[in-house]
This record gives sequence, C-alpha cells and structure tokens, in this order.
Amino acid sequence: MPLEREVYKELESVVGPEHITEEPATLFSYAYQWMAELVPDVSGGGKFFDRPEAVLVPGGVEEVQAIVRLCNRYGLKFHVYSTGWGPWAAPPSGGQILLDLRRMNRILEIDEQNMFAVVEPYVVAAQLQAEAMKRGLNVHISGAGAGTSVLANACCFQGGGPDCIYFDSPQNSILSIEWVMPTGDILRTGSLGSGLGWFCAEGPGPSTQGIIRGALGGSGGWGVVTKIAIRLVHWPGPPVMPIEGTVPAYRTKLPADQFRATFPAFPSWQSFADAIYHIYDSEIGYIAHRQYVMWGDELQAAFLKIVSDPDRQLCDLEELLHMPEIQKLTDEMRRCFQLILVGMTPRDLEYQLKVLDRILEQTGGWNVALVNEPAMQQYVLLYMMRLCFKNLNFTATGGFIDTYNSVASPDIWASGEIEAGKKLLKKYAGRIADAGDQAMGPIAGQGGGGVTGWEDFLFYDPHDPDSVQAAIEVSDEGDRLKAQQGRPPGGMLLGLARTTHTEEKVRAQKLVHAREYQWQRKLKQIFDPNGIGSGNYLWAAEPSTNGEST
Amino acid sequence: MSTSNCKEALAQIVDGEHVCDNPEVIAAYASDNSFDPPKKPLAVVRPTDSSQVQALVAWAYKTKTPLVPVSSGPPHFLGDTVPAAEGAVIVDLSRMNKIIMIDRRNRVVIIEPGVTYNMVQPALAREGLRLSMPLMPRATKSVLGSVLEREPITNPRYAWSLTEPLRCLEAVLGDGSRLRTGEMAGASISTSAGQVMDYAPLEEVLEKRRKIQETVLYQYGPGQFNYYKLVSAAQGTMGIVTWASLRCEVLPEVEKFFLVPAPKIAPLIDFAYRLLRLRFHDALFIVNGARLAFMLGENRDQITRYQQELPPWVLILGVAGRGLLPRDKVSFLEKDIKDIAQHCGIDLKSNIGSVHGDHINDLVLKPSPDPYWKLRSKGGCQDIFFLSTLNRASEFISTMVSEATAHGYTASDIGMYIQPTHLGTSCHMEFNLPFHPAAEHEVQTVKELYQSASYALSGQGAFFSRPYGMWSSIAFGRNPMHTDVLRKIKALFDPHYILNPGKLCFQDTP
Repeated sequence: MPLEREVYKELESVVGPEHITEEPATLFSYAYQWMAELVPDVSGGGKFFDRPEAVLVPGGVEEVQAIVRLCNRYGLKFHVYSTGWGPWAAPPSGGQILLDLRRMNRILEIDEQNMFAVVEPYVVAAQLQAEAMKRGLNVHISGAGAGTSVLANACCFQGGGPDCIYFDSPQNSILSIEWVMPTGDILRTGSLGSGLGWFCAEGPGPSTQGIIRGALGGSGGWGVVTKIAIRLVHWPGPPVMPIEGTVPAYRTKLPADQFRATFPAFPSWQSFADAIYHIYDSEIGYIAHRQYVMWGDELQAAFLKIVSDPDRQLCDLEELLHMPEIQKLTDEMRRCFQLILVGMTPRDLEYQLKVLDRILEQTGGWNVALVNEPAMQQYVLLYMMRLCFKNLNFTATGGFIDTYNSVASPDIWASGEIEAGKKLLKKYAGRIADAGDQAMGPIAGQGGGGVTGWEDFLFYDPHDPDSVQAAIEVSDEGDRLKAQQGRPPGGMLLGLARTTHTEEKVRAQKLVHAREYQWQRKLKQIFDPNGIGSGNYLWAAEPSTNGEST
Repeated sequence: MSTSNCKEALAQIVDGEHVCDNPEVIAAYASDNSFDPPKKPLAVVRPTDSSQVQALVAWAYKTKTPLVPVSSGPPHFLGDTVPAAEGAVIVDLSRMNKIIMIDRRNRVVIIEPGVTYNMVQPALAREGLRLSMPLMPRATKSVLGSVLEREPITNPRYAWSLTEPLRCLEAVLGDGSRLRTGEMAGASISTSAGQVMDYAPLEEVLEKRRKIQETVLYQYGPGQFNYYKLVSAAQGTMGIVTWASLRCEVLPEVEKFFLVPAPKIAPLIDFAYRLLRLRFHDALFIVNGARLAFMLGENRDQITRYQQELPPWVLILGVAGRGLLPRDKVSFLEKDIKDIAQHCGIDLKSNIGSVHGDHINDLVLKPSPDPYWKLRSKGGCQDIFFLSTLNRASEFISTMVSEATAHGYTASDIGMYIQPTHLGTSCHMEFNLPFHPAAEHEVQTVKELYQSASYALSGQGAFFSRPYGMWSSIAFGRNPMHTDVLRKIKALFDPHYILNPGKLCFQDTP
C-alpha cells in the first residue's frame, strides 16, 4: 500500500526529493534477492520478496535519526540496507520503507598508530583495505567478499571469514559504535559516548554493545548503526597490491620472503583435524580456509584450472575432468585447505614454513605442488587476501544455499559429517549440481583458533522448478539428519530466509519456546516500543499460563 | 527484615553453618581498603552450587533483599563488594571453587567463581595450558571476578577483546532465572521450536556435546544479543555468574623475559607500538621504577633499595615459543626484536642491576605472594586506572605528577603501570598511591589527591571504563544515553534491583 502523502512529504523533507523514491521499478529492485524462489509461500515461487513502499537514501546520522523518529510517529516500519547480500536484505514483509545507506560511504579516519579505522555503513572491505594498506594495515574481509560492508559484517549480520585465525571475528574487532536506536535516540558506545574518541568498545561499566548484536546482528531490523571504529592488523606488503592478468585470472606478486600460499593436504580427515590443532598451538597463519573455489572435492582441481587460466572457460569442465593430471590433482587435493603464511619479517616466514613442514611430517600430509607454481602462487595470494571473486558462488548454476553445515571444534572434520554431507548431495545429484564434498569454510572462526567448520554448499538452478524443489528437500533432509544426531540444523541460509520472511506474529508463535527469543521480545519492548524495526530482529511471543503463545 | 528471620530463611537454602551473622565476619564485609563509605550487611551466606545461588536469588527477589555477590577473598580495594544498600546479604561464592572441566585439545577450562589463579594455573599446567592473567593479582583473587571485571591481561596479543579470555557462562538473573550464553545457550540462531525446559545439568550437557565435537568456545549470543557483554564490568549488578568457560594459552616450552630501561617513557612507547604491530611479544607492559620496586620488594626496606636502583622507566617484554619448534620461534624473535630495539635506540637487557629476567618471570606469571604487593610499601594503596591510547600516556603522567605535587604527595612514590590491551588499540593506565592507613593526614592527602586527579585526568580524556566508587558519577555523567540504556537493561535483568544496588549508575530502584 503506498505511503500516505503526508508521510511521504515529511520523509522527503528529511532527505530531499532526489533521495526518496516510490518508483515501482526501483522498489522491485530491492525485492529481487537471491533465494526468493526457495521460500514459495512468500514469493509464490518467483524471484521477488515483498517490495518496500519507498526507498530513502539518507546522507548521515541526522537524517537517519529524523527518519526513524518519523517512523515512530506514524507507526511505519523500516528496514535497513547497506551492501545487502541475501534474502534478509529485502524487507521481510510489505508495508515497510527501506533505508539504503549507500551515500554513507566515507572512511572517516584511519588511526595508523592505534590500528583502527572509523567507517560509515557503505564502506566496503576492498575500499578500506586499499586505504589501510597504504598505511601498512589490513582489514578483516567477511566470507561474503570484499564488496560487502565492513560495518554490516561487524555489527549487523554474521561476518566471519577465512582470515579469522589472525584477524579474529569481526565482533571482537569492533571498537566504539554510533547506533540510531529504534526509538530514534542515538547511543554512542564505549569511549565515543564519553566524547573521548573511538578506541574503546566497552563501558563505562557493562557494555551496551551487548544489545546491538549477538551471534547474529539485527539484520536491518534493529535500528541503524551509522558509524563504527574497526580494529585493523599489520600488513607487511606493499602500499598498493600490484594486480596483473586478465579476468578471471588476476594475480598479485608479493615479496616471496614474506608471503607464501600453501595447500596442506592430508591422507585422512583425522590427520586434517590434527594439523589444525598443531596450527593453533604453534600460532602460524594469516588466512586459513578450505575449498575456496567453492566447488567440491571432485571438481575443485578442474575448477581451479578454469579460474586461474584466462584461456579456460566453464564449458571446458568436462574435458578437464578427463585429463590425467587433473585427476591426479583432484586426488591430491581431496582433503586440503588453503593456508596463507605471512611473515612480519623474512625470519618469521622462514619459521612458519618450517613449522608447516613439521606439521606435515607429523600428520603424513603434503603441500600440493601446484601451489608452488608462480602463477598459481600469485593467483591464490590475491584471491585469499582480497576475497574478490564471490561471484563464483553464482557462476555455474545461478543459485546456491548451504545445507549440511557444521561449526564445532576441529575434531568435527574427522567426525564423518563431511561424508554424510557428500552422501546427501549425491542422493539428489542431477537435480542439483554434484561436485562431491562441498564443505567450505574457515579453519578458525576465532582469533588464534577455536571453533571451525564449514558450509556445505549446494548449487541449484533457480530457473528450474525441480532443481529449486530439490534444494529445499536437501536442506530439510539435512536438518532432519542433524537433529537425529542431536546436532544443530545444517542449513542456516534457508532457515533464516524462512524465519525472516514469515509474518511476524506467526513467527513469534513458532519461537515461543526458544529462550533467547523470549529475552529478545523483552529487549524489543524496551528499545523498540512502537515495533517499527523490520521483522529481522527475531522475538518470541509471550507464553501464556496455559502454555500457549499470546 | 530482622537478622534472625533472614538467617532462618537463608538456612533453608544453604546449610546453616554457611549462613553467618557473626559480628566479626559482618565487619569484615562492611568495609574495604577503598574510600567508599562502610555499611554492614545483614548476613553472609556461602552457597556451594548453582542451584543454591538460584534459590537465594529467588528468595531475595521475593523478599526484595539486596544481594552483594563476592567471589574474591580479601583484601578488597574497589568498594564494589561493600554494600551500598541497607539490609544486604553478602553472597560469598568462595565455596564454589570447582574446576569443572579442562580440555587440553581445545584449550578451554570451565571454572566456578571461587576458583583463584593459584588453584587453576597448576591444574592447567599439568595439561600443558595456562590462563592469561592480570599483573600480579592477589592470591585470593577470583579468576572469574577478574575476567568479568575486564581487568587487563599482561599479554596484549591474547587480548582479542577487553573481555578475554571469557567464553560461555551461566548467570542467575535478578528474578532467579538462569541464562546460559554463547554456544551453551542451546540454540543461537535456531529457528526450531521445542519445549521450554530448564537447563540440563552442565556435566550432562558437556558429555552430550563432546560426542558431537562441540566445545565451549563460541561466546556470542544467544540470538541477536550478547548478555556476556552486559554482565562485564557490572560489579555483580546484572547477574551472578555461577560458571564460565575461559580460553587458555598453550603453556610455552621456552619463555624469556627482557627488561628495557629508559630515562624517559617516549622511546619505550615507540618500541611497544612496533612490537604490538608485529605481535612479536607475549607479556608486554611498561612500569615506572616505583611500581617495579613495589612488585619486587618483599618489605619496605627492599622496596626503597629497589627504588634507588631501578631506572625511571622499564618496559617488560616476554617472548615465548609454543607448539612445534618453540626454540626456533624464540630464536628468530630474539633476533628480530633486537633489530627493532636497535632501530629505536634502546637496549634489550636480561637484567637491570640485581633484577634479573627470572624475577620478572615470577612477577608476570604468578599471583602476588602474601602480603599483597600493594600493601607492602605503606600498608594502604589507592589506585587510579582508566583506558586511553598509548600515544597519550605522557600527557596523563604529567597531569598525575602535577596533581601529586599540588597536593604535597611525593610524586616519586607513585607507581605507574601502562598495559597495552585489545591487540594494541588501547591501553590501561594505572597510578598506585601508597599511603599509611594509620596516618590520618596522609590518608586525607591521598583521598583528596585521588578525587582531584580523577577529575583532572577525566577532563584530559581518561576513560573510566570500569567506574568504581566516585568514578561512576564522572563516567556516567559523560554519557547520559548510555546510562539511560543501562538502567533499562538493569530493570529487565534485575527488576527489583536486588543485585548489588547502589553501584554504577543503579542508585534508584525503578
């Protein structure tokens, strides 16, 4: 339903006529999000979620605050969007306005000495990384890629990625935050709120950052984070990463005495897990990740050839799979991961390489020889340092979801869950792409190691109803299999898409028994009393005395 | 409520022998070494497990009785364990001192609040682990008390956040309900509905999780909020933590300490920044000669001798080798660090006069022997500490010295400690003001200096992120919105304001 004219005019007066629109084509562009076809009861099986009633592009915190206050006055729900990647980027239901933060794209400060940057929501990781590198610094890049918002990854969604082993999770990298609360009030956390700069995340006393995000952020439904300070790490490379080659085989030449890409590979999953523990204990590695080209163990070698050789194309896949050297490489790489070693000094790299050799010796592993070829070395270094090829998720079939994920201790790699995921995907082969074991994820999800795990990617054809149906069936069957073992559900993406795009009251009733969402209901009542944040902040209905939800 | 009624009710929950209203015991909890006003509690109760804590809080919620959780033993210095409200019951958690689980492979330990560093470090060492520690905590210091109050650890490389090494926890909230956090919450982003059940016993949960390779290391959540941040630096006002998991370090096979003396602090700051940038350190902090003397000297005479012997400033640096090839690690670090030191124009030493690296080893890796180092110089000590950035340290030092001089306090008696934290993005600054508690004039001087310097430092940019005592009005006065939000959160998790009321910004019951 279109906005009332009075409301529209007031919103327009905040951002100016050039920064608000209700033009249908524009509105639909925000509703067109990946995975819509997997939630047919919302999308009707089409490609669109609910469209917003208007899109506003505010230029700063004052405009954001004024908009949120108007939303409170008129009881109008709003949804927030920065670089938007996934179904939760679209408004979760109709009747909402959308705030697109793309004008708030400035790097406000880089404190070289104290190693942090202050950024607005639309600063993407590649942008900040380029500026940070000029100062000998680097920034965490989410698994969603270098084109995504630094702020949204840290505060508003999940944000983990391949570099957590050295950079840590983005949550821990947040320093002060400026947050327009759902009430329209502005909370500045830590040292910023006391007018003392951006250096400290917490306090005074208990950290109010605790209500801004948890395991997951508010996903556009919990106020608007307008600025954050984010911790940076040292970059011992050149101020500008030199880029060579042609699409998609770009490469970077970095000093060989400080940078080394490796592919540690193992004879068994147990030795794979043991190696991870050794890496944690010996404290080596700058980036560590498995199956970065996205495809499973049966296709990754061939796919690596396609993306690193400018003369190869996707249609060469069949031919490549029949080549003996690719078959040999496939076997060699079956249980491998990518480990980028960065020496802060040449001696440091020398030491880390020696430790890696010792780990391989003790676990019976090997470093896949291919990675030592100069072109591959340069390709892998660029890919892993900048995570700039996230289009690979959509290259082959146009659609993907995760299905049989695991996040646990490193021993999870040796638990049989990789094979279980592979078996599940094979059962549906033909209706979905079958690339073997597609477990793809960080070797450490926390600084210095800790939990690790993977997303088990499933590639489906979003234009083929049977493939779409198969993707849904795999995800649901995966969840059932996990539940039988007492494990958490495997398919995060579809689960979240279904949850966020369900009518709020219905969802609240489904979540009534989930303890955490009961606390979130109470937090919502306090900090969003008019209920104007979009439904992506989840809450449970209040249980009544007879056990039913109200 | 009368004392006898209170005692009777408490004895229904905890064995009578662990409920106490003995005047001597009451007096011990009625004041501490801070300048905060004394107040007698009604009784002291010592629960032995989580269910007793839950029952105690439920009783207090029903009767609106203030509870003051205390996990560390005396001496206390910050006023946070002295009741601010009348009729309070002290919940002394020292009997809850179990080390519940040590998992070497995943480098994690679960402990109760009464566990001290002296209890847990030897147990961890047997497994090849240790916990990151603050600098020379007292022997009675609760590990969880230290971590929850965000005390800085000496190794900034492991300070991934200001709450390190905290992971998952269980807390009893002000209404008597329990909340578990992180991956122990049950379901962080689960969308599946289930039955509302009370939490299963921890041991059962751990056993079940072990079979599916789950750990207790993922701290975030539950859901879209982080309660563990809300209970940090809360002085027991947001919940009583009954256990927590902490991420451990691998015990180094090789560890060396170096001392870097300097007449002025500036070159040490530059050197520290370079090391922080490269993460070429384990322990890393700067102290002045007085502070180092306080920590080294076993009595007043020794402290005086050390003060005369030591240079004005010393940077303490630990390097360590862990895991595979630990000697190679230390060998390359020594070479690279010497190059950096040369570049900074400073000397890396194994000893300064009679102070050898081995002395430092004990200082950094062990709790303080008794008597607690703060009390050895004059018997009393008032600290001023806050957060800032390393590059501003000199400004704060100048202010502190000026304030001391203006108040007639001998500036050379001030202990100074600068601890980089959160991987070098900020630093903890601490000034120690020793005094003779029996000398009335001296006490008054330190009291006035403490107040005046706190305001002056705050005006200059000191961030009192852990606002004890008089700092609460300074800190919360600077951020009214944060204060308002905190009060709303407090009202949610402690609706009757029974948990340590009167502390932080929680003076008035809603």
